[in-house]
This record gives sequence, C-alpha cells and structure tokens, in this order.
Amino acid sequence: MPRLPRSEWYDLTRDMNWDLSYITEDEAFPPQLSNSFGVPAHDWWAWDEPYKITYSEYVHNQAGKDAGVYSVNNVLNRSDIWDNLEPGWRAAVIAHYGAIAVAEYQAGIGEARMARFGRAAAWRNMATFGTLDETRHGQLQTYIPYQALAKEPKFDWAHKAYHTNEWGVIAARHLFDDMFLANDAVSMAIQLTFTFETGFTNLQFLGMAADAMKAGDFDFGALISSIQTDEARHAQQGEPTIKVLTKAGKADVAQDLLDRMFWRAWKLFALLTGFSMDYYTPLENRTHSFKEFMDEFINKQFIDQFRDFGLEKPWYWDQLLNEMNWTHHAYHLGVYFWRPTVWWNPVAGVGPAEREWLEEKYPGWNASFGKYWDTMGQNVRDGHPELTLPETFPVVCNSCQLPVCTPAGYAAGYLESPLPYVVEYNGRKYTFCSEPCKWVFEMQPETFAGHLSIIDRLLSGWIQPPDIPGALAYMGLSPEECGVDGTDYDWAGPVPPATKSA
Amino acid sequence: MATRERKAPKTWSLLGDVKRRPSVYEVTASQFAYHFRREPAPFEMSPDAPINEWYLTHREGSVFNVDDWEGYRDPAKLTYSDYVMLQHDRETYLDGLIDHHESASSVESLSPEWVSTLTNAVVPLRFPLHIMQMTALYVAQMAPTAFIINASNFQAADEMRRVQRLAYLTKWLANAHGESIASTDAARAAWEKGEAWQPMRKALEELLGVYDWGEAFAALDLVIKPAIDSLLGDSLAALAAENDDELLALLLAEFHRDAERSKDWTAELVRYAVANNPALAEVLSTWVAAWTPAADALVSSYATLLPGADTAAVVTAAAKARADLLAASGL
Ligand SMILES: [Fe+2]
Ligand SMILES: [Fe+2]
Repeated sequence: MPRLPRSEWYDLTRDMNWDLSYITEDEAFPPQLSNSFGVPAHDWWAWDEPYKITYSEYVHNQAGKDAGVYSVNNVLNRSDIWDNLEPGWRAAVIAHYGAIAVAEYQAGIGEARMARFGRAAAWRNMATFGTLDETRHGQLQTYIPYQALAKEPKFDWAHKAYHTNEWGVIAARHLFDDMFLANDAVSMAIQLTFTFETGFTNLQFLGMAADAMKAGDFDFGALISSIQTDEARHAQQGEPTIKVLTKAGKADVAQDLLDRMFWRAWKLFALLTGFSMDYYTPLENRTHSFKEFMDEFINKQFIDQFRDFGLEKPWYWDQLLNEMNWTHHAYHLGVYFWRPTVWWNPVAGVGPAEREWLEEKYPGWNASFGKYWDTMGQNVRDGHPELTLPETFPVVCNSCQLPVCTPAGYAAGYLESPLPYVVEYNGRKYTFCSEPCKWVFEMQPETFAGHLSIIDRLLSGWIQPPDIPGALAYMGLSPEECGVDGTDYDWAGPVPPATKSA
Repeated sequence: MATRERKAPKTWSLLGDVKRRPSVYEVTASQFAYHFRREPAPFEMSPDAPINEWYLTHREGSVFNVDDWEGYRDPAKLTYSDYVMLQHDRETYLDGLIDHHESASSVESLSPEWVSTLTNAVVPLRFPLHIMQMTALYVAQMAPTAFIINASNFQAADEMRRVQRLAYLTKWLANAHGESIASTDAARAAWEKGEAWQPMRKALEELLGVYDWGEAFAALDLVIKPAIDSLLGDSLAALAAENDDELLALLLAEFHRDAERSKDWTAELVRYAVANNPALAEVLSTWVAAWTPAADALVSSYATLLPGADTAAVVTAAAKARADLLAASGL
C-alpha cells in the first residue's frame, strides 16, 4: 500500500476553497439551493468532517460490503425463509420497502445538492460519498425485494409506492421533500443528516436490524446493518455544519431547523416504527416497547448529542413526551381500520398475550385503546368483519398529512380537547393534529400553503368518485393490492368460517 | 394465509408487459426519478414553492427534453455495485503503481525543471477538477431519469478520485522537493491569480452559474470537460513521458479511462435525445458553439504552463478530442 498515511495528504484533497471572480456568490450558490443564513463565505471554509475517508478507502470498503450483502441475499433468496416469517414481521418489511427504498435514492439527490451547493470543499466531498451511499441504499432496497417478487407480489410497492398518491406515501413525500429532495444544502445538513439520520434512522436501523435477526429474517438484517454503516458515516455532515453556524453566532438558526424537522420526523416515525415495534414485531422477538425505545435512544442519547453542540430540547418537548404514550396506538388503530388503503397486510397484534404486554408497557391501554379492539373483535366474532372496515374518511393534518387523532388522544385521557388546531391563511382553512404541526406550517406558510392534503383533494373534486373505491383507485391500489387483515382475523379468537378471508 | 393466489409478476408493474426480462441495472434505476413531470409539481409542497419553480424552470422547462427519457441507457450500464467493484479493481492497480514508484523513488529523482512544471501545471489542478465534480453533481440532481443521474454521479466520483491521487502526488513531491509545493495558499494563489489559469477558472465559474440542466450537461460534458481531459490525458501525459515521469503518465492514462466512460455516456445521451427529438441537434450545437471559445481559450492558456510542449499540438489535440466526441454523438 502507498506509504504516506492519509493524515499527511488528506487536507490536500479538501482545500479547494477559493474566492469567485467571474460570477457572484449568489449566482454560484443561489439561496434557494444553499441558504448561507448570512454566514460569510470564508467562515464556511472551516467546515471539518469528524469522519475522514478517501475515495480509495471508500471503493475498497464498499466493494467488500456490497459483496457481503449480495451473497447473503443470493443464498437466502433461494430459501423458504420469507414464507415462514410471522405475518406481522412481513407486514413491517413490506411497509418498510415501500416507504423507504425509493426515498433513499432521492436522498442521493439531496446529497448531490450538498455536494454541489455545500459551502466548503470538504463538505462537498463528504456529500459526494453520501450521494453514492444513497444510490446504494436505493438500489439494494429495490434489488432485494425485486428478487423476491415471485414469492411476494406486494414487494412491487418497493418500486411503485412513490409513483402513487397512497396517503402514507403522500405523508412520506411531504416530509422527505421538505427534508432533502426540495431542501437547500445548509438546512439539509441539519435536517437530513443531523436530525433525521443521526437522531432517527441511525437508531431505527439498528433496532430493526436486531429485530430482523430475532425474527429470523437474516436477509433483511444483513441488509439493514450494512446500510447503517454508511448512514453512520455520512450522517456526520450535520455536526460540522452546526459548528460553523454556532461559531458565526447563528445557533438559533440551527436550533430552529432542528426543532422543525425533529417534530416532523417524529410523526412519521410514530406511524411506521410505532406499529412495527409495538404491534407487528412478534411478541417473543420484542426487546422493548416503542416508548422505551424513544425514551432511551432519542430522548436521552440523541439529546445528549445536541446538548454537546449547545443546542437545546425543542420547545414542544412536553407534547412529544405526551404523544409518546398514545399517538402510535391511534395510528395503528387507524391503519388497521383503513387497511384497504395501505399496500401491506396489517396485523392487529392484539391477541390476549399481546394485550397483556401492551397493558404492562402502557398502563391503561386496555381501558382506552383496548375498547376499540373489543368492538372490532366482537364484530368479527359475530360474522360481521365488514363492520371493521371504513366507509368514511378521517381528517388529515395539513402539516404531517397523517390522520388527526386528537379524539383518540382525548378519549384516552392525554389531551384536554378532542378538537384539532385550525388556522386561516389567505382565506383558506388549514387543520392540524397538534400544536407543533401547526407551528411547522406557520413558520413557512409559503412553502406549504398551496399544498392539498388527500382530504382537500377529495373535497375539491380531484378524486372521483369521492368515495372509498374512488379514493383507493386514486391511491394506486387495485383491489388485489389493498391491504387485508394479515392473520385472517386470528387475533379475534374463534370466528365463524364464513368470516375468513373477507 | 390471506395472500391471494396471483400469477408471479415478471418485473415491476410500472415497467409494463416486458418481452425481455429487464437487467439488474434496469430494475434498480427505471422510473426512480418519479418526480419528473409529476403533477401538479415535482415536490409535495406548494406548487409554486421556490424549489418547485427551480425544477419546473430548469428541468421540465429546459428545451433539452424528449417525451420519454426512461429509454436512455448508459453504455457502461453501471449499478452502484458495479461501479465500486470496478473502481476497487482500478484503485488496487493504482495502489500497486504507487508502491512500485515509491520503491523506485521515482518522484525523488525527477529533475528540478520538471518538478517546477508539476508545481505550476499539476498541483493547482485540484481546483478545476473539483469544480467539474460539482458540476457533474448538478447535472445529476437535475437530470430527468436515474439512468442519467447515476452516470453523472459516478463521473463526479471519478473527478474526486483524480483530485485525490493528485493530492497524494503533491504531498509526495513536497516531501521530496520542498514543503511549499503542498502549500494550499500557493495553489490557491495560482488558481485565483495565475494568468495562465484564468481562462479555465472563468469558464468553470461561469459553468457553475448555468442552471438549465441541458445547457449544464452540454457545456460540461461536450465542451469543457473534454477540453480539460485532453489537456491531461493527451498533452500532459505525453509531456510526462518525454520527461521520464512514468508515474504521472500512467496515472493520467488511468484517469483517461474514466474520461472515456464519461464520453461514452455523453455521446449516447446526445444520440438518444436527438433520435427522440431531432430539433435537439440544433439546440446542442448552439450550446457547443457558445462554449467552444471558452474551451479554446482555456486550452491555449494552459498550454503556456507546459514548457517544451508545442502549443499548436496541445490546441490540436483538444480540438480533435472535441471533434471526435461530437462525431461520436452524431452532432
Ligand atoms: Fe440511506
Ligand atoms: Fe400533524
């Protein structure tokens, strides 16, 4: 190997900062794509990545990692592991691929934005690796489900989801576009790499990799842990960006970017990770509840990280702690009830043993959320599963695009009012699920005000006919693709034979 | 189990009823740029949000457009995995090349005249090469299909590769011939103020300000990059060989492989675009004509940094490289 250690020549790979002469700063770094927040050009040159890597090291490492993941897949794809996994776990994996695979590829476009419009050469280099990483994640997470399409037709959604207007996909796009695809480079470094990747995905992927191994899904476990090693590296673009902002006296800018995205990320996390951890993962494989997970990894470990940079807990902290008790239970209930509107087959996850676990982890669960399941279970046992299916639509939040669940939070005793938050802006009425969601909107009304939620689209005639079948078609769900109960109502106890596969 | 019996799908449903089973390269890129021409706007926010308008203007609104970009294929057909495997092998080769020349103390024994040429003409190159990395990443983030996005991203990574090997060489030169060779200030001063570098800097800074994705592609990949690649791969490499600098000659030959891959996907993109929209031949030729004077100026100016090189030959080589690429592109 070449003799000079990396440390001796590394700086020469990243010192390409210079003063423009032939075009202006704003022409080379337009504010829409690179908001400097008033930090002078030369201050950005101090940007220093904590994790150093060269191109050569990158391709050597990544070639080895890819060979590993592909060979595991090559062996396991020929096995019958998938068919023997629990239905709940399969639902979690199918939901994951649809929501995440093509989104990761778009994160590569976001990384390319930082690699072009980042304000220091060192940063642009790190983001160039980030671009490659996210290309990898988009391709791996479509390749693996693609190989298994014959076993699992629902894996088509790994590719198709982002072309549709399925409500969860609208919510995911609304979040991810704000976070990276349609974000400027500087905001993205705080919002994508620090807030989301360091805070949420890092922990979620670690958690999911461990759960996959316990559930016996070694293919998915190998995939996710390999992806995580890339995330852990490129997520470190946030830290130096925060340092530059803070040193320039702009800690408030970093705080604000963090606060807005932390809440937004929480909402999608509460949806996808919430039901995966507390309902879909087989009981015997669970190591912690979603709330415990949030407490330990996000609220303690991640908070310590941003305290290290002089940032504080977001202002809505109490509301976050409050929502951790109930929001994901409400989302899970909603996803199950509106199961024809999702591309996976939701499981209820509320058999007797599961309910005992839920009551232990969330005291009062039986008396609050349990009651809805009691009713649905009775309907199923009475031979009327159709009564567990929707005929109307929920109200959707104009910020997170998820159903407004304040009535459930109120009924469970966590909110003082069942009413949503409402804002009038330029003559239009906007509805929000929570005070922070309302705040996110009010911080940037020009970015969001022209957007129509799926319910706005229904009311304004975009969706025809404006009923459940019309909405399913609009969401790209053919009758075969609509979600059904993943366990054929096993959770409800003995049911009349005619009920099955309804 | 609730899963209903269905015929096993042949491929992604969005790819339709395919006759031939698509390759891995195709199924991990086809229709990934789902936001291109999405209604009512590319991104899920106010349709008139500034970034939606940016894409609507510079991507959807570019004259460089065809009805369907999804049929385009990079001739190298590289997935991410193919790319890192390929470059893992090539970097292993370069590691070996450097090992060999370190054992032979090749850099230590270069003549002072040649060291001075390297200091003036090679060391500051990391600045322009980095700007070509940036521009390739702009083309990538604006391109309408993942088949172009990926090719342009890999090209950007290749530029970084070239910068890093030259950075290593710079440090090696400095250890052997004087620390100042590795001074950032000196390299930056040459780049910002050295007369011979200014046409190149002007062209590249102006290229940074081009936001129409089609013009950015044409200016970078059809004109400016081929000119700079010819300076390195043709003229500088030849001069290195004449000056017994086998290491640099072979490094540049290696980078030339990457440059050839860039030309291949570029020419194919032009052929594809023109086949699908013949009016684009004129559009592209107009952009090429507009950027050619800047390319010519940077070539003849850079040639002055190469003592002993025949300026006319340097200019001819770059002109030929461009002509060959345009011919391969069908322009
Ligand atoms: Fe990723
Ligand atoms: Fe909300």
